[in-house]
Amino acid sequence: MPKYKKRSKRFYDYSLLFAIVFLTIFGLVMIYSASSYTAQLNYDGNAAYFMTRQGAIAMGGFVLMIMVSKMDYHWYARFSGLAILVSWVLMIAVSLVGREVNGKKRWLGVGPVSFQPTELVKITVIVAMAALITRIGRDVDRPAGIARAVLITIPLAGIVAANNLSSGIIIAGIGFVMMFVASRKKLIYAGCVALGATAMIFAGPIGNFLTKIKILKPYQMNRINVWLDPEAYPTTGGYQVLQGLYAIGSGGLFGKGLGESIQKLGFVPEAQNDMIFSIICEELGLFGAVSVILIFMFMIYRFMLIAGNAPDLFGALIVVGVMAHIAIQVILNIAVVTNTIPNTGITLPFISYGGTSILFLMVEMGMVLSVSNQIKLEK
Amino acid sequence: MVCLLSCLLMIGLTGRLFFLMVFRSQHYSQMAEDLHQRERTIKAARGRILDRNGTVIATNRTVCTISVIHNQITDPDQVVTALSEALGLEAEDVRKKVEKYSAREIVAVNVDKKLGDEIRGRHLDGVKVDEDYKRYYPYGSLASKVLGFTGGDNQGIIGLEVKYESYLKGTNGLILTQADAAGVEIENAFEDRVEPVPGADLTISLDLNIQTYAQQAALKVMEEKEAKRVSVIVMNPQNGEVLAMVNVPEFDLNDPFTLNMEPEEGSTASRQDLLNQMWRNPAINDTYEPGSTFKVITAAAGLEAGVVKLEDTFSCPGFRIVEDRKIRCHKVGGHGSETFLQGAMNSCNPVFIDVGQRLGVDRYYQYFTQFGLFGKTGIDLPGEAATIMHKKENMGLVELATVSFGQSFQITPLQLITTASSIINGGNRVTPHFAIQASSADKTRVHRFSYPVKEGIVSAQTSQTMRYILEKVVSEGSGKKASLPGYKIGGKTATSEKLPRSLKKYISSFMGFAPADDPKVIALITIDEPTGVYYGGTIAAPVIADLFENILPYLGIEAEQEETVSAFRIYG
Repeated sequence: MPKYKKRSKRFYDYSLLFAIVFLTIFGLVMIYSASSYTAQLNYDGNAAYFMTRQGAIAMGGFVLMIMVSKMDYHWYARFSGLAILVSWVLMIAVSLVGREVNGKKRWLGVGPVSFQPTELVKITVIVAMAALITRIGRDVDRPAGIARAVLITIPLAGIVAANNLSSGIIIAGIGFVMMFVASRKKLIYAGCVALGATAMIFAGPIGNFLTKIKILKPYQMNRINVWLDPEAYPTTGGYQVLQGLYAIGSGGLFGKGLGESIQKLGFVPEAQNDMIFSIICEELGLFGAVSVILIFMFMIYRFMLIAGNAPDLFGALIVVGVMAHIAIQVILNIAVVTNTIPNTGITLPFISYGGTSILFLMVEMGMVLSVSNQIKLEK
Repeated sequence: MVCLLSCLLMIGLTGRLFFLMVFRSQHYSQMAEDLHQRERTIKAARGRILDRNGTVIATNRTVCTISVIHNQITDPDQVVTALSEALGLEAEDVRKKVEKYSAREIVAVNVDKKLGDEIRGRHLDGVKVDEDYKRYYPYGSLASKVLGFTGGDNQGIIGLEVKYESYLKGTNGLILTQADAAGVEIENAFEDRVEPVPGADLTISLDLNIQTYAQQAALKVMEEKEAKRVSVIVMNPQNGEVLAMVNVPEFDLNDPFTLNMEPEEGSTASRQDLLNQMWRNPAINDTYEPGSTFKVITAAAGLEAGVVKLEDTFSCPGFRIVEDRKIRCHKVGGHGSETFLQGAMNSCNPVFIDVGQRLGVDRYYQYFTQFGLFGKTGIDLPGEAATIMHKKENMGLVELATVSFGQSFQITPLQLITTASSIINGGNRVTPHFAIQASSADKTRVHRFSYPVKEGIVSAQTSQTMRYILEKVVSEGSGKKASLPGYKIGGKTATSEKLPRSLKKYISSFMGFAPADDPKVIALITIDEPTGVYYGGTIAAPVIADLFENILPYLGIEAEQEETVSAFRIYG
């Protein structure tokens, strides 16, 4: 990209900013709607418990986002090495002394403050990969380059996956997409995607075969079976998915109206969390659900524009990483909720309840906005 | 390109959503609805039972169910003290229920409405007072074994309550509400309501006044004679409507699970057996040897077949030898020479043995069937007992002889009075019954019950002759004590020895009807195991006389100035 020394007006992506604000506020409304009933029961009648918590963190995150967006993104590239180190320390720490919630050690906390280090790992991988790919340049298609990328991503993804499979998949996915974008030999990556898709389609028979030769454990096979026919397992594995499907199905074209969901009354477990999309479907109908998807698509379109016009490769890759992160999570979340893929815990960005998630998402958005801010508009 | 792929995937998911939310919508909404909907029933009021004059003899009373809802209680101590004091329960038991973590815990049921209102008035958080119906019988034990009572779900258990369950019970209403995952109803949620339909009111043929008087009379004789039981049936012989059915001792319908007497010493019967015994209606559930009252049937059969006439003469030496058996008459010295009419008036066994023998087994059996004595009367009460009779092929002349004067087989008192009614009413076999009509609470739908009548079981002439004979029995024969000045009463006495004969226990009975020439009312009393004098003519007949004296004017049958009994007699 040719550079002009002329001082020109800087760009700032207000469309993206608006989309972020809109999604966050919409998320707060939906969290209130989805959680007020259970919150009221569990938190001494405080129906807004989840919403106020999320709202406070989102406000903080918003300020942080604006600050990050005004920084030069090259500055924090220097800390990528340190970030990897911190990520490793935190992940090991969480595996050893993490707080256990629902049998999984995912939380690291002191007193009332706690957070999920996996969210930090995601942002670390984005920055580190962007830095690495920029540094190695053309080596990106050579085995050595690929090996270095794999060395950063896979071990981190692995340790995350040990406790949180879906986050591991997302991290690996982010790395994969970034490599794909940087690479010139796209066929290899396309092949990988095709292979994965085929495996998905034939998951049932393959799973059976793998269980037979004892690679897949029975409980994992069970998940696949549940996915293939959730109504056959209404009380065991299929409960969450089935309740989600009830919610989605009862929505119809225009939904029951905001706040009118019945499935949120304790039927869908933690409706404000992973399954929030099903409540959106129930209350706002197909119309509302498609609107949400369209906003995410618009967001991705903005990312693409920014990446395409980024002043350098590093900036473009950061935006690509963030885009990969958002896209993967949105797609996987909706796919899980609609039972298109086997159930795994993935939150819907900006909308699902989760303090760490919204905080780091805001930081990521700040990074993207700061890249957009570096775009110089030609006069 | 990544962007494109993402968009494609999202469009794919939109397609999936479209499929789920449009094509599968019905399926999932239905499943969700099934999951959310809770049904709460609204009890339908049970139909009342009215006597023939419209007096309510079974109705409903509003009672309250007191329950506590754990997570609505704000002050457990206050609730515990208030409830235990008001309901007279142990504070500890109430506390257990208050502290139990459940959606709803019932503390007390069938609480009086007044007390329930008072508890509701205290506005205790978490205490719920629900109103409910409970069956109530204003006349307590009156006709207890006929009316029957209801159980915990307001369902009929015995008597008319169970027989007419389908008319009385009504249709429960429904409140369909939405509930959350814990089963707690959602306030202000859309509510579907199906109104309950109250049960139909049942009008029965029973007359409260006759029943009351008959019960008093029965109780009096039971006490005087220290009898075990006394049953009285009063019915209209023309159509089979039962006006009274008394079985003392009765039991309290408002408290049917308390025994009305102490169980006998050394009795091994379980409580439930004793209760069942108490609830039994001996007039229809138990059979007995009718004894001399059954001579009415033998006489009717003999007259109908033409094997005997009123003036046929018989001789009674005090016994009759049938095959190798010597069968005694109740009068040891014998009645000597007598006409058939006199034999009937004397209740002479040899006369009726002779009539039976003249008929022979085949013809006797044929009339037994023709009169409807086999099987049941078809009364609208549950558990009617059937006749126990010799098989035709096992019936020899000795059996025939004993059957002729009412022994060696068993029928219910109701069967006897029904058959007698049919013989004296002109030959129409009626179906005894209680229910007259069922009408919906708003009187818009009325169902009148009808019962089969079999005509011509005896000729009108035989019927008339029988009325004459039986009138003579009362006016001049063994039933003298049933006669009432100014009234033409017909009747027949009986004293049956209970089995085994060695116990010397008796059932004294009297069956009477009035007016003798056009019977409007017939009554049968059976006194089970009287002590002292046990002759039906001596102890049972006066009770019916007393009853008739009181109910005949009530029924609009006035006493005549002169006795003109035999003036219109026509020989059969």
